[in-house]
Amino acid sequence: MKMLVRYEFLKIVRKRSTLVIMTVSLLITAFFFGLPLMQYQTYDRNGVIRGFAGIAHDKAQYEKLSVLLTEEYIADTIREYQKLFENPDNVGYDGNDRFLIGDAYWDFVAPRETLLYLIASNYDAPGENTGLNHLPGMDLAGGAGFYEAREKKLGQTLDTPSRELTENQKEYWRDLSKRTDVPLHYGWHKGWNMILESFELLTFALLAVCIVLAPVFSGEYQAGTDAVILAGKYGRTKLVTAKIFSSYLFGVLAFTLHAAVALGLTLGAFGTGGWNLPLQIEGTAIPYPWTFLQAVLINLGVIYLVLAAMIGLTLFLSANMKSPYAVLAVLVPVIFLPMFLSPNGTAGFYNLTILLLPYRSFMPELGKYISYRLGGIVWDALTTRAVFYAGLTALLAPFAGAGFRRRRS
Amino acid sequence: MKLELQHLSKRYRERYAVRDVNVTLTPGVYGLLGANGAGKTTLMRMICGVLKPSSGGIRWNGKPIEALGERYYACLGYMPQDFGFYPDFTAHEFMLYMAAVKGLGKREAKTRTENLLHMVNLTEAADRKVRSFSGGMKQRLGIAQAELNDPSILILDEPTAGLDPKERVRLRNIISDFAKEKIVILSTHIVSDVSYIADTILMMKQGQFLLQEPMASVTDVIEGKVWEVLVREEEAAEFTRRFSVVNLHHENGGVRLRIVEENAPREDAYPVAPNLEDLFLYYFGEDAKEEKEPAEAGWEVSL
Repeated sequence: MKMLVRYEFLKIVRKRSTLVIMTVSLLITAFFFGLPLMQYQTYDRNGVIRGFAGIAHDKAQYEKLSVLLTEEYIADTIREYQKLFENPDNVGYDGNDRFLIGDAYWDFVAPRETLLYLIASNYDAPGENTGLNHLPGMDLAGGAGFYEAREKKLGQTLDTPSRELTENQKEYWRDLSKRTDVPLHYGWHKGWNMILESFELLTFALLAVCIVLAPVFSGEYQAGTDAVILAGKYGRTKLVTAKIFSSYLFGVLAFTLHAAVALGLTLGAFGTGGWNLPLQIEGTAIPYPWTFLQAVLINLGVIYLVLAAMIGLTLFLSANMKSPYAVLAVLVPVIFLPMFLSPNGTAGFYNLTILLLPYRSFMPELGKYISYRLGGIVWDALTTRAVFYAGLTALLAPFAGAGFRRRRS
Repeated sequence: MKLELQHLSKRYRERYAVRDVNVTLTPGVYGLLGANGAGKTTLMRMICGVLKPSSGGIRWNGKPIEALGERYYACLGYMPQDFGFYPDFTAHEFMLYMAAVKGLGKREAKTRTENLLHMVNLTEAADRKVRSFSGGMKQRLGIAQAELNDPSILILDEPTAGLDPKERVRLRNIISDFAKEKIVILSTHIVSDVSYIADTILMMKQGQFLLQEPMASVTDVIEGKVWEVLVREEEAAEFTRRFSVVNLHHENGGVRLRIVEENAPREDAYPVAPNLEDLFLYYFGEDAKEEKEPAEAGWEVSL
């Protein structure tokens, strides 16, 4: 069996097409994940700072902000912000909004702009984005009420009619959200956030793996080698298992290489700092009580299950179709059509289906309260995807070679 | 050792590719002859378990091959016609891979691979990628893989197709070496290939066996029906149109024709000893003539 797996694996990796497809997809992955690094830009009072210098600048600023977001700290920060508005020289006006300018901006706002926006957005109503406009007028007599505001916003979000959430679903999200440890710890987390926002770019790696594996069975029919191996002692038994095993081995290794390039580039540039910080410092409405590292690993786990199911589907089609091109004619739309189908909400059959398809399943969608229910059971999007694709894998992988095994047409 | 084909048929919609074939094969070399489309490949694929019969069955030592499963496949060596190799494997890797498919242990696989590559004269090329092999080298490698498990049943579908005469002779000798104590079924439409090595001739036409005869007596049926006659050049075309002409040879002032015909085509025609090629033409008539015209290399080689 070991020998069969070894040679089947060699058959896959030795093909020139494999080398070409893998090289191209690795370059695409490196380009997509490298682009934000090359295009990164930030500002200080002297102007724009680009690329790695910009990242280093922002990182240095954030290091000073590695703090616990206690009610006191938040209240003090808002007070300090409000105080700056007392000096008219610090304030600009564009006809609609008042904002800090000059030294007040560069010395106070610029170094903590993201934090200020995080604080301000916590007090916005769901779906509203007022920027920093509410902060100057906030009444802090009773404290910042930051976490109370977060709870209130969660309640309002869950009650939004367009979400069509049942009481069970609302309860599910409230329970999950309650598990978040407060006060939140703030800090530099750009690399991890970048990864969470770019996971769908790994779809190209998924497609590349499927293209390479499309001929595993159908290539034998096409080359006319099926007859000679089917007439071998293990042609219908161990060989089929070896083909499936080696395909999964290749798929997982190839995808891991892509993921390593993607994560390596991002974390190499932005650093690994922030892995242990809570997701809520990117958006207080996020209900998952996880750190950035946990979120990345959990979503990667889901992605690997999608990969496993898609490899199973590829092999199943390959065993039942006479040409690898026919296999790809089915697979490419399954993987890529959802790119062009945008959900228009988080409820309803259409949206919930779109959000379950491979492309969308790569996106963690952590702050969207996407949940599925079956009777009284409620699952969030990540759990549903994990269960769905694990089930699909369990269904497809054992039967992937059945078409080849039975082949006596 | 006994392979029985019992009322074996394969039908594609209304057309029979193989129809009610009955034969019991014991060790020996069987030359399966027939024009293209006669059903040879279909029959061989059914024997190899690659193709499911529409009706009838195959028994190996008295047991249906379906019931034997892996035990039957372990006895089988098959070289399909025009089968693709894995171009990115070396000959050595290809053999080891096939050995694994055939269930050979690691040490046995290595030994058999080295021996067989030596026998088919591919030792020097063992570490070359198969993509760089000539047609003849690929055919030799194909035969070597079929022999890997030292099968009791060796099935070779058109093993000499597309080879030059020198390669064909070499391949015939290799097959002869492998054939001892086995049931060897050698399919070809190149008559001379089987005439040297077959013990029995199985002749197929339109999916059925026309003839099952030992090689030694296979031409008895056309004894006295093969003629040679010297005609004028301008008469040759007319004779070719009217009779089944096996061969024509230009000689001084005329053309010597070899004709298969029940009666003497002309008074001065004289009977000659028949050979397998004559027999083939006798049975296949127009089909065989069409095959002859594209100048099949083997067809022109005298027996």
